[in-house]
Amino acid sequence: MIKSIFKLFTVAFISLSLTVISAVASAEITINWPSIWVGKDSKTTVIRELVDEFNAANSGAIKVVIEEQTDYDIYGNKLTAQIATGSLPDVFTVGADLLDILSKSGKAMDLAPHVASDSHWNNVYPENALQSNMTDGQLITLPYELFVTPVTYNKKLLKAAGYDEFPDNYDDFFKMCEAVTATGKVCTSQMTGKNGWTSMLWFSQALASAGGPNIYENGLDDPAFVKAFEVMEKMYKYTTSDAIGADAGVSGGHFLNERTAVFMNGPWFIARYTTDGIEGLHANIGVAAAPMLKGGKGAPGGYVGGKQSSLAAGKQSDPEKEKAVVKFLKWLTTPENVARLSYSSGAMFIVKADLPSDMDRLFTEMNEGKGNAPYVVEIFQNAIGSLAVSKEFPQALSALALGEVTPEEAVEMLKDAD
Amino acid sequence: MKLKKDELLWLIIFITPTIALFFLFFLLPILFLFVTSFTNWNGISAEFVGLENYAKLFSKKTFIRSITNNLYWCITAAFVTVPLGLIIALLLAHKSRGWKVFRTILFIPQVVSSAAIALMWLALFNAEYGLVNSLLDLLGFSEYKNHNWLGNIRTANMALIGFSLCYVGYFMVIMLAKTTGISQEYYDAANIDGASQFQKDVHITAPLIKSTFFLCIILAVIFNLRQFEYVFLMTAGGPANKTSVLVVYIWNELSVQRLGRGNAAGVIMIAIGAFLLIVLRKLLKSETYN
Repeated sequence: MIKSIFKLFTVAFISLSLTVISAVASAEITINWPSIWVGKDSKTTVIRELVDEFNAANSGAIKVVIEEQTDYDIYGNKLTAQIATGSLPDVFTVGADLLDILSKSGKAMDLAPHVASDSHWNNVYPENALQSNMTDGQLITLPYELFVTPVTYNKKLLKAAGYDEFPDNYDDFFKMCEAVTATGKVCTSQMTGKNGWTSMLWFSQALASAGGPNIYENGLDDPAFVKAFEVMEKMYKYTTSDAIGADAGVSGGHFLNERTAVFMNGPWFIARYTTDGIEGLHANIGVAAAPMLKGGKGAPGGYVGGKQSSLAAGKQSDPEKEKAVVKFLKWLTTPENVARLSYSSGAMFIVKADLPSDMDRLFTEMNEGKGNAPYVVEIFQNAIGSLAVSKEFPQALSALALGEVTPEEAVEMLKDAD
Repeated sequence: MKLKKDELLWLIIFITPTIALFFLFFLLPILFLFVTSFTNWNGISAEFVGLENYAKLFSKKTFIRSITNNLYWCITAAFVTVPLGLIIALLLAHKSRGWKVFRTILFIPQVVSSAAIALMWLALFNAEYGLVNSLLDLLGFSEYKNHNWLGNIRTANMALIGFSLCYVGYFMVIMLAKTTGISQEYYDAANIDGASQFQKDVHITAPLIKSTFFLCIILAVIFNLRQFEYVFLMTAGGPANKTSVLVVYIWNELSVQRLGRGNAAGVIMIAIGAFLLIVLRKLLKSETYN
């Protein structure tokens, strides 16, 4: 018996020793990256290629390991917890809503010294793009993906309803919705599940239209918030019966299947019109600026958008690992790699990149629209400056859509959440 | 019984790890929870705010609704799920043909991932293409053709709590196991007296498994007080916060970095749980523990 136990311990000890020795001997630096660009995300393929190419080029020295994060909201919650506990991943992407707490945490790597000592960053970013991201002399994020969210609409379905052009004001828009409904189709894709993303984008458009480009300066007391909720209240009369509680997959799915005629999302969705949409959908899609509210402070052609994801890294105690992380961040921000990402997914990036001349038509239209827009206002979720308020938005919206509260009371719900 | 010196030593040696783990992973976190509930801790910094978190919580409609929703879950479990489990256990205890198949089918939800079950029910309840609406439409209830069960204020809680009935198998199995320990002599005597199967169920089996039945009620109340995953996955507390339960509320507070207030909600939840347990133990004491 004692002999058996002794043998068991000896085997366990040798195995453990070999594991430790092999780990020390290999000295390969592993970079952990919990990535949201996986699964059905339009950037999945190229991101995977970029990581594989980086790993191959640095074989035996650095290895980037993608930890798949298929749910944006859960990723956000996980990252929030990691910021609070100081256990940040080696490399990660962060949305505008978490920038404030990330900055306050002091747990993110300061990239300012690397930017100062290496011309790469200053060459690939437009002037002031990095400076505008600096806080107290520190640069904890590299701005990466940006977006605008104009309206995308199904020209075929609108034509069937008697419309060749997308309406430029909400009065005509709701008349168009009546006409679309009469054809047996549904006018808009909406959702209140998760963060209410696509509805939140519409709400942001209506806010900018009612309150103008400086809408967020006055906070929730601005009457534009009530006006925007009034628009949303009507919008929910022309949406699918599963919109309350629906997530982005359901909301987008209806547009991809031509159940709905109008949809709002960022340029990263462009690739999915071809890969996941009904046959011929991509050719039928038009891009337009959101309608305007009569008497609003916004200007025709105004866009909403902002920074979508910024690149960041956790603070490292090992200088070699810090170098490896910086090397990988540089790899992700080379103009060639950014062009590949943009070309394959339709997503927009802040990094200067020579985009191919045959970029997707919808990307070009969105990019031109952005260029011609009198302003690009930040989306509500990023601009309101309170996680609690943006989290309460889908609940307030569902209460409004179900007739539980008035637009004024919906605004009160947001105020109460803070 | 007085312990000898070496017996006491061994007792201490064996009990110390358990007490240390209990202190480290249970008492210490609860103490931490309690202390931080009086602060505005946001994960990065904390200041003492007295009872402000508690005052805020009780001024929030959603928090009060979360408590009442939890109570609905507990009441449904105690008065519907567990009694239903008892009825099924009594029926299966007859060991009629195919009873093992039914037992297995009813127990399946216990061994399937709750996320998978929640997604399946989400699809079944879907307003546009869900099976529930299609069936109702087939049965002539055309007004439910596009009814959004989980997105309607009147039906969301009902649909969620109704769905929880598929977990009846857990309690059924516990009570069914208890029936196997009942002596055959009782049934033989009843047979001689000419008792029907129903009479045997009601007058012999049911009273003899009463203690297990009450234990199941206590378990069901505890499980439903900490209900989280189904609500979170299926409605996330919506629409309009109408289906929120305590743990979802706490989750929401924590996810917006209001850790102090979230912990105050946690303290209240522990207090409610302790109160319910004390009341249930008092009510069911003689039956459960004797």
